[in-house]
Amino acid sequence: MTNKVCVLGAGSTRYGKLNESIIELALNASREAILSAGISPKDIGAGYISNVFGAADKQVHIAPVIMSNLGIPYVPGLTIESACGSGSVMLREAFANVYAGFYDCVLAVGVEKITHTGTTQSTTLFSYCSDFFYEGGNGASFPGLFASIARAYLSTHKATEEDLAYVAVKNHDNGILNPKAHVRRKITIDDVLNSPVVASPLKLYDCCPFSDGASALILCSEKFAKSIGRPYVEIIGSGRGASPAAVQGRADITTIPSTVNAAKQAYNMAGVTPSDIDFAEVHDCFTIAEIIDTEDLGFFEKGKAASRIREGDTKLTGRIPINPSGGLKAKGHPIGATGIGQAVEVFEQFTGKAGQRTIKDAEIALTHNFGATGASAAVHIFKKVK
Amino acid sequence: MPPTKQEQEDEPSVRDKFIKSATKGKILTNQCTNCGQYMLETVYFCDKCGKNSFKSVELDGIGTVVTYTILAVAPEGFEDAGSYAWVVFKLIDKPIRASGFLSNVATSGDLPLGSKVMVIGYDEKHGLLLKKSDQAE
Repeated sequence: MTNKVCVLGAGSTRYGKLNESIIELALNASREAILSAGISPKDIGAGYISNVFGAADKQVHIAPVIMSNLGIPYVPGLTIESACGSGSVMLREAFANVYAGFYDCVLAVGVEKITHTGTTQSTTLFSYCSDFFYEGGNGASFPGLFASIARAYLSTHKATEEDLAYVAVKNHDNGILNPKAHVRRKITIDDVLNSPVVASPLKLYDCCPFSDGASALILCSEKFAKSIGRPYVEIIGSGRGASPAAVQGRADITTIPSTVNAAKQAYNMAGVTPSDIDFAEVHDCFTIAEIIDTEDLGFFEKGKAASRIREGDTKLTGRIPINPSGGLKAKGHPIGATGIGQAVEVFEQFTGKAGQRTIKDAEIALTHNFGATGASAAVHIFKKVK
Repeated sequence: MPPTKQEQEDEPSVRDKFIKSATKGKILTNQCTNCGQYMLETVYFCDKCGKNSFKSVELDGIGTVVTYTILAVAPEGFEDAGSYAWVVFKLIDKPIRASGFLSNVATSGDLPLGSKVMVIGYDEKHGLLLKKSDQAE
């Protein structure tokens, strides 16, 4: 006997260059989620925390510190790390534990604090998320890894650097509507194309920023959600996938197998197809990633995403809006929090809290988040509960 | 006779063996004795059949460029490397890919996809070193 799993509450800090400590960020997001759910911390049976670079803010083993400062020191917490995909992989574990009936109600909070280390050290820390012996150790930065993927894609399919720029412009347009986004500034295609090259063919505006921030969810059984009487959202599908850790190990560099496999599982579990999805939050750490994601998730045929994005299919009013929050590109990418932040966006969309970025009549949404260059990934599908 | 404790302690790591081959211009691989699949030396179980019985094979470190990037913003440790590329290449004779560091690449015109590269060594600072190869296919 399994439980239906619901999102009963959600909270998030602003994303950006923030002053608070890693623990304060996690607590601020958690408090907002708890209050949003209308519960007490005493209702929480377990805590799931995603984080990658706690050591950079002099705190590892952060789960017990967070639980203690929420006033529930005897409630077990677990920290999960899966690079940039930590949040969604953690969400999967939290989901699985409620689904299996181990807990009625859990806290899922993702957090990252990195900007204080500066660009050079942040870049170095991120490179440790690659298969370092083959990639970071041979001079590949993270923008460099995705640039190599972009070069392979652009040389294989009918797509250009200008197509990549359309992704950045669209996500910045959405980010302007999100009060918690890291970057709230309109940019043009020319701005992107004329921005400094970071790793060819990717330029500065093809890249997401380094961000601090935290996002939190309260997950619970349907029975528990109904007992509280607040609006909630149901998670109807969950999937995880993996790919060879190093880019060199992939037969086709223009697709990410972990995304394909995680999506397949999530669609099967939810009993829906890509055409049923009303909007999606996808992992756009670099513009090329969003193009590949939308093909791997089944929204567009292989090689066709660039032209569809250029035609406006992924805008807020398009056929399949992608990253209404602004995505990693504009909302920001505090890597331990990102996967949870995507689910916060879905909760806000489905509970009337998304303001001007609300997707009209949306009822089914998908989140997709991966670690490193897609070595790990998770996909979740959510349904609005009327 | 099983190796003595001292012999075990003296055994070079898998990575050290890979690096030693690279200094000779070679890529060290494992060939599965069960199914014949080639993998880089650092893989412990065959990714095709799951067995772990291997024959160690040094392959010529000559390949064709599959993809690459030219780093304009170098990561820590590579600031002094000048204009360089991180390159994924496929070995000429076997279906196996590796990646490495190629100096003196400034524009995409310097390195069309499909160009030949060869392993010329291993540097503690910059990893697996490549150079453009003049050898015809």
